[in-house]
Amino acid sequence: MAEMEILIQQCVNALSLGGTYALLALGLAVVFSVLGMINFAHGEILTIAGYTVFFAIVGNVPPILIVPLALLVAMATAALMERIAFRPLRGANGTTLLITSFAVSGILQMLFQNLISTRPRPVPISASLTGAFNVGPFHIGVIQSLSIFATFAMVGLLTLFLKRTMLGIAIRAAAVDFPTTRLMGLRANRVILAAFAISGLLAGVSGLLWIAQRGSVDPLMGFLPVLKAFIAAILGGIGNLTGAVIGGFFLGAIEIGLQAVLPESVQPFRDAIALSLVVLVLLYRPQGLFGAAHSVRP
Amino acid sequence: MTWIGRRAITRMLDLAALNRTRPAFAGALVLIVPVALVAVVAGNFLGSAEQRIAIIFLINLIAVVANGLYSGNSGIMSFGHLGFMGVGAYLSAILTMTPEKKAMTLPNLPEFLAQAHMGLNEACLVTIVVIGLFAFIVGTPISRLTGSAASIATLAFLVIVHSILNGATDFTRGSQTFFGVDRLVTLPSLLFWVALSILAARVFRDMPAGLEIRAAREDELAAQAMGVNIARRRLIAWVISAMMMGVAGAMIGHFLGAFSPKKFFFVDTFAILAMLIIGGIGSVTGAVVGTAVVTVVMELARRLEESPILPSLGLPQVFGLTQLALGLGILFVMYKRPGGMLGLAEVDDWFKHRFSVAAAKITSFAAEKRDGALVVANVAKNFSGLKALDNVSLELRPGEIVGLIGPNGSGKTTMLNAISGAVPPSSGSVTLDGVAVAGKPAFRIARLGLGRSFQNIRLFKEMTVLENIEVAVSASGRGGDIRAEAMAALEELSVAHLAERRAGALAYGEQRRVEIARALALKPRYLMLDEPAAGMNSAETRALMTLLREIRDKYGLGLLLVEHHLELVMSLCDRVVVLNKGQMIATGTPAEVQNDPIVIEAYIGRAHSAHSSPSAATERSLS
Repeated sequence: MAEMEILIQQCVNALSLGGTYALLALGLAVVFSVLGMINFAHGEILTIAGYTVFFAIVGNVPPILIVPLALLVAMATAALMERIAFRPLRGANGTTLLITSFAVSGILQMLFQNLISTRPRPVPISASLTGAFNVGPFHIGVIQSLSIFATFAMVGLLTLFLKRTMLGIAIRAAAVDFPTTRLMGLRANRVILAAFAISGLLAGVSGLLWIAQRGSVDPLMGFLPVLKAFIAAILGGIGNLTGAVIGGFFLGAIEIGLQAVLPESVQPFRDAIALSLVVLVLLYRPQGLFGAAHSVRP
Repeated sequence: MTWIGRRAITRMLDLAALNRTRPAFAGALVLIVPVALVAVVAGNFLGSAEQRIAIIFLINLIAVVANGLYSGNSGIMSFGHLGFMGVGAYLSAILTMTPEKKAMTLPNLPEFLAQAHMGLNEACLVTIVVIGLFAFIVGTPISRLTGSAASIATLAFLVIVHSILNGATDFTRGSQTFFGVDRLVTLPSLLFWVALSILAARVFRDMPAGLEIRAAREDELAAQAMGVNIARRRLIAWVISAMMMGVAGAMIGHFLGAFSPKKFFFVDTFAILAMLIIGGIGSVTGAVVGTAVVTVVMELARRLEESPILPSLGLPQVFGLTQLALGLGILFVMYKRPGGMLGLAEVDDWFKHRFSVAAAKITSFAAEKRDGALVVANVAKNFSGLKALDNVSLELRPGEIVGLIGPNGSGKTTMLNAISGAVPPSSGSVTLDGVAVAGKPAFRIARLGLGRSFQNIRLFKEMTVLENIEVAVSASGRGGDIRAEAMAALEELSVAHLAERRAGALAYGEQRRVEIARALALKPRYLMLDEPAAGMNSAETRALMTLLREIRDKYGLGLLLVEHHLELVMSLCDRVVVLNKGQMIATGTPAEVQNDPIVIEAYIGRAHSAHSSPSAATERSLS
């Protein structure tokens, strides 16, 4: 029974960690599918969501408003990034956009360090979140359950949005063929702004989940989870939304799996091994698990 | 050594190839002179603080030039090169430390490392070899990825190395400072490695491998169609640049004397990339200029950070100002000059006209005479349910001109792609002189003797016309004097006078001719041209027809011609194949096809072909 419990526990952990990666990867994929750019500064959106929570708690904002506020700030950050940094480069190639977002990321990190603090700031997490509840004989963590729930809710909402709303359909159309989408009378800037806002929302949600588990925010906290999300997005087939979600869960499962099976002495290399495994998958499927083979018409 | 290939080695030793790279050698020297001057002045006339800046500048120079060798030539931004620098620093430091010291600080080292003790230059050589192997293993999967995915994979590599350096406490003391490294760096030895790096990077750019990888940066599809093995070429650049990074690591380690894995992570990656990006990713001159400019700016920012100027102006003391300056610098360059300060320009562009392009006379592009044909049998291609090609068969013999015609969307271009390997067929077989090629990568099919042009011209726009052709000669792998053969191909198409022009700047008709010359330079047995007369006026079209006939007669090529221009097809082709909706609906001599009711129906429509109504008759006369 104890083994069963550990197994269930690990599955819950894998789903919750993978879900966080999946949300981040999904946000990257939405932007990539429309604009062909990898937003290196995606992690800083997550960090900003974290700082919003920190300052909201310090400023005695009513608890009920903290989550919507953080999500709103995350969306606004992503939209502003697009408006200020990326729009002047409309039509530039993927490398130029990647480098630009790389610079934006560096500038934001430096600003966090100067304007806030280089050291982690504690975020008090309410006791109701840190606990666990029992399902039959099993202990399930509240935060883990919440993050699994949030992941599926967000993926469901996004699917609805993309399939049922005009703007969502426009985004999907732009992902297939942007020039034609524009010829159909849709405003490119609106579609791109919407894509960024969605990616900001997703980054905000994963940011909330991330700090709920860590209990602190720091200027560089976005780097590692978003790096994992990059990898998840590539693993799923870059720009493929379903692939990004599955890639995220896949990476989460690998990490938790390695954590469970690797001996203590090898644990420090867990990240290295997990990433190497992914790169090995790419050796056999350079297009990712769900990436379309090159179908460029010459 | 098989992975480089015997062919590549003979080519490296080829005097003609060296002759081609003479401007590059000269350009490298022009860059090395001021760098050497910095080293000499710093060594003899400057105080220790300035000397320190000069040394860090020189070490950064190796790293930036190395990163540029990969990122610039391949067009794939590498975030991972600092990983090699880290490995180089630790490995070389372990090699130069005395066994006694290692017994104290690193008691758990394996015996052969614990006992090793050598000088810095020997350690550099060992580091180069070890990192070369390491980079080869790591680079194999990475070189198969393209674009942003490849960039992210290099970032993953950086994180992998970082976590290994942190985790391998027996070798590296983990995240703690690794200290006690002797400060063995001297200006002369450092200058030697810097000069070697600049020379290697500059000459690589103009060597066959460098030409081919740059072509792939411009246009992957066209490069493959010219026989370029992109993954292999990227791997070579990756390994060479990693080796150079290893040297940079050895130098920084033996200059600082103490370091930790953090030194080879994100912050320094940011700085090195900023130097490269600001100067210009695509050129060695840019790398050198960028390193110099950014070193100066960083130093100023650092002094501003430490000086009392900001507080005296009522501003708060800021730290991380260098990172801010670098970030803004990158943004500025991206907005104003995405290629960096130098773009793709090299210093030798200013004087390379002094090196004359003397072409030996090459008279024939005829491939060896062989029996055989290009046979396409029952080829089908499905795009998620859509049957773009449905069991099409055709045959093309050397010396024959076959036209492939059909309405828009009938599958003509898909047919060329399926034959050339750009889009592998879903089923069916393609044999080239008896060799089954369906499903093989495009570059292998090209090397077997299949040249092609593209419907929407795909020249390597940022390269010169001559370089465009040289890529094909080089990638065909037949050796010989690359430049002479390329010039001969240009002369064949009467475009030799354009040799030094940038391909993207040519007029439309000229580009078409250059593209045909490029395909011809492969010495193909079969040549597929996708709408070569598109956009030409009737005089140009007639000139093209004469030319194609000449090429066919002179070299005995089999020509497969996709063309809408019916006059050209009817007067030039021996046979015509007609496609409609992915199916072959007719084949025969031009005259037969022209009068085939099914063909007329496909082009003009059913009602008009069988029973002509009065209105249909007028429409037909209009069309």
